[in-house]
Amino acid sequence: MSSEPIERRVSYLGDRLRGRRCGICGKEYFEVRDYCGVCGRKSFGKMVDIDLFYEKGKLEICTLINEPTNKFTKLGRYVYGIVSFHNGKIRVPGRLTDRITGEDEEIDFSVFEGREVVPRFRRRYSVNKSDIIPTISLAFTFADEYYPHQEYNVVKPNKMYETPGIVGYGVYIPRFRIKEGNMERSVPFIDEDSITAAVEAGKLALIHSGVDSTLVGKVYVGSESNPYAVKPIASKVAQVLKLGEEDEDVQGVDAVDTEFACKAATSMFKDAASLVNYPKSNIQYAMVIGTDNSQAAPRDCPGGELDLFVGFGACAYIFGKNDVIAEVEGWYSCTSDTPDFWRRDGEPYPMHGGRFTGEPAYFKHIRKAAKKLMERLNLKVEDINYFVAHQPNVQFPMKVAKELGFKEEQYLPSIQVAKFGNTYSGSSPLGLASVLDIAKPNERILIVSYGSGAGSDAYSLITTSQILEKRKRQKLTVKYQAENPFLSYVDYTTYRRLKVGM
Amino acid sequence: MGNRPVIVAVGRTKFGEHYEKEPEKLIEEAWLKASQEAGIERRDLEACYLSDYFLPITNKLGLEEGFLSELTELHVPMEVTRSFSSALMNACNAIQAGKYNVVLVGGIEKMTDRWDKIRDDLMLLEDPWSYYAGCTPEANHELMLRAYIKKYGINGENLEKLNIALAQISVKNHLHATKNEYAQYQRKITVEQVLNARKEARKPLGLYDYAPISDGASALILTSEDWAEKFTDMSIYILGSSSATDYLTFPVRQDLTHFLASEIAIKKALKVAGISLWDIQIVELYDQSTVMEMISLEDLGFCERGKAWQSIYQSCQDYKGYYEINGKKLFTNLNGGLKADGNPLGATGGAQIFEVFKQLRGEAGERQAKSDERLKYGCVVELEGFGTKSYVYILGRNHK
Repeated sequence: MSSEPIERRVSYLGDRLRGRRCGICGKEYFEVRDYCGVCGRKSFGKMVDIDLFYEKGKLEICTLINEPTNKFTKLGRYVYGIVSFHNGKIRVPGRLTDRITGEDEEIDFSVFEGREVVPRFRRRYSVNKSDIIPTISLAFTFADEYYPHQEYNVVKPNKMYETPGIVGYGVYIPRFRIKEGNMERSVPFIDEDSITAAVEAGKLALIHSGVDSTLVGKVYVGSESNPYAVKPIASKVAQVLKLGEEDEDVQGVDAVDTEFACKAATSMFKDAASLVNYPKSNIQYAMVIGTDNSQAAPRDCPGGELDLFVGFGACAYIFGKNDVIAEVEGWYSCTSDTPDFWRRDGEPYPMHGGRFTGEPAYFKHIRKAAKKLMERLNLKVEDINYFVAHQPNVQFPMKVAKELGFKEEQYLPSIQVAKFGNTYSGSSPLGLASVLDIAKPNERILIVSYGSGAGSDAYSLITTSQILEKRKRQKLTVKYQAENPFLSYVDYTTYRRLKVGM
Repeated sequence: MGNRPVIVAVGRTKFGEHYEKEPEKLIEEAWLKASQEAGIERRDLEACYLSDYFLPITNKLGLEEGFLSELTELHVPMEVTRSFSSALMNACNAIQAGKYNVVLVGGIEKMTDRWDKIRDDLMLLEDPWSYYAGCTPEANHELMLRAYIKKYGINGENLEKLNIALAQISVKNHLHATKNEYAQYQRKITVEQVLNARKEARKPLGLYDYAPISDGASALILTSEDWAEKFTDMSIYILGSSSATDYLTFPVRQDLTHFLASEIAIKKALKVAGISLWDIQIVELYDQSTVMEMISLEDLGFCERGKAWQSIYQSCQDYKGYYEINGKKLFTNLNGGLKADGNPLGATGGAQIFEVFKQLRGEAGERQAKSDERLKYGCVVELEGFGTKSYVYILGRNHK
């Protein structure tokens, strides 16, 4: 049993590492204090909110935990220590995450101590399956490894566009991979899930866009692997990322989870774009996140074929009308009731019969959506610079692209499934991100998602000159995450263990 | 003559695993031993001050006062606090205020009943934010050691000596415990064993650096000065007592290399007792880990900061039963310390007082300090949590 009030309070502080600074003497606290211990009564009303969520810290001292307490046993052996921020003004306990420590590994603590670390939003520890999932950002990774420190600077918008579009995006893929044949797939660390990935991606999108998080009026999180059957991921994202104006401890934002297999996120692109365009909505920005710890039964079980393809990760897109990097030119969606892939409530893994997977499901809907949109916008294949399709494997997106008449240079840049696996709700958004990472201004991108069940959303996007300026703000590009020297490859058993999580 | 509190009798159980006994049976045993010693009847007691750190968690036992009331068939005021020292502090205050003349102070813990979840409980109670971040009850000791090594720039040969000194603390405490019939571990260990356990764990501290979990109880009878003579002619006086507190969250504390609370408490206690630190001949330190024993020597002021390991190392090269510090003998943890005597949290302080009481009275038998002069002053330090509270008691014999 877990206590909801305790969970609420611990995660409120711990997820974002909130604290206060005394406006008089500058002393900092990792807790929301109403007065300063040094300045006393005169500091009432002079305490300033701070948080360490976007900061980088320094690992002061550390030790090895080889016999964790019960709730941490699934982490195995790990390094734990004390992290300081702001030149030692504030210190917090923390563990190093994203690190598998071998039984025989000799650790020289002095190699770790003194290095810069960044807080990561993770699961706190294991609980019963029926309990609230505890989270915390007292997990850290080294800033000079896979996940660099990036400052979050709110940038004042300088141009308002007629057409709404993407103003920023972020892709979060962890450093772990499993490599089988020619395919690499992303693997979560054991303390990750679709909730933690959604928050990390959202954080990266805010950093890239420079958008003031309090101006984000709506957040949609699309996933088919929410660890809760009932309880939104979006509420966690809203609170950790402080979306909308915060009043007391409530965020002034509409947050909702969506589900439609792998198109749960792309489906909401148009809703987000429409919402920011509606003159009376008062919503300047809307965030759409696709996140999945893509589920698959173990290889020898029914539905286990998927286990060869599933990845892990999240993509976040912020839509608005200020400083747009890619305008939404138009869209077309189509749906049919095709049972090609499903997961019944309470079942841990999805099933697919196999009969419908290809032709009447994937190809039919993508073809239809792409053709209809091109027809509507009067576009020919040559008018389109990049084509992005949903990527359950390498063959499908290539086949449909060729069928539609696209050439390799148009579709190959978006095909990332061989690097990350099928990231389900994040699949076509990840393909789009890899194109946005390299696109020049005034290029047209056609993205067509696919969600089993079944349906497709096609969007035509046109990049603007701002795409180049904003690119400098994002170190964690798709390429960076695909070809990173700090990738860590795991074997099949480890992959399954990490994927099941804490 | 003031109203100084006087200890007239002490009692305790063996520490270790007592799976066959209910917690209240343990306290009964300790109390009966103490009462027998001084010829005290239940009905002489005017109040009881009890302690247990977390019996409501380990044994789902609340309102311990009620159990004791049933056991003793007494209806006197009873209070429960978390450590023996804090119970004793309340008892001292009441005696000094003239409220009572004869009270029972008792401590009890039953940790092995919850062996499977005890480390989570301990850590969560000790420092919740560190727990949430993945800390274990051992990790803070290791971090303190890391911070100590870094702050004082100890490396190379010195670092090796420091590590051996810490091992020697454990070896020494085990040696003392071989003469303590109540101790949890009455066997010798070697420096090699301590070092090998560290090697096996691939950590700076290993199994033999830490006190165990234990069951046990301890008790003492505290009286006012005027009443003491009715029960004994070998009274042990509480000459000075003090406590201090520190932050719960270890990483937030200003200095990670010592326990501020102990540093404050010893100064006050000495002032009240009106003696100097170097008058103290015997000390019972709270060695939840070997690091804690080393750091405590510095916190109390016996050793300079960053140098206690040198005195320990020198003294243990050819151990004679005491630490030699500044040419003076300091008998330390003669009962085996928490490491070997055992550490049933709520009862631990009682066992520390028990030892100093017996030593000052010259009744410690085989483990009696081989002192040149008769022991006159002893000191007990008990911590709660990871140095979140510190209690210091200065005890003395026939001090008029």
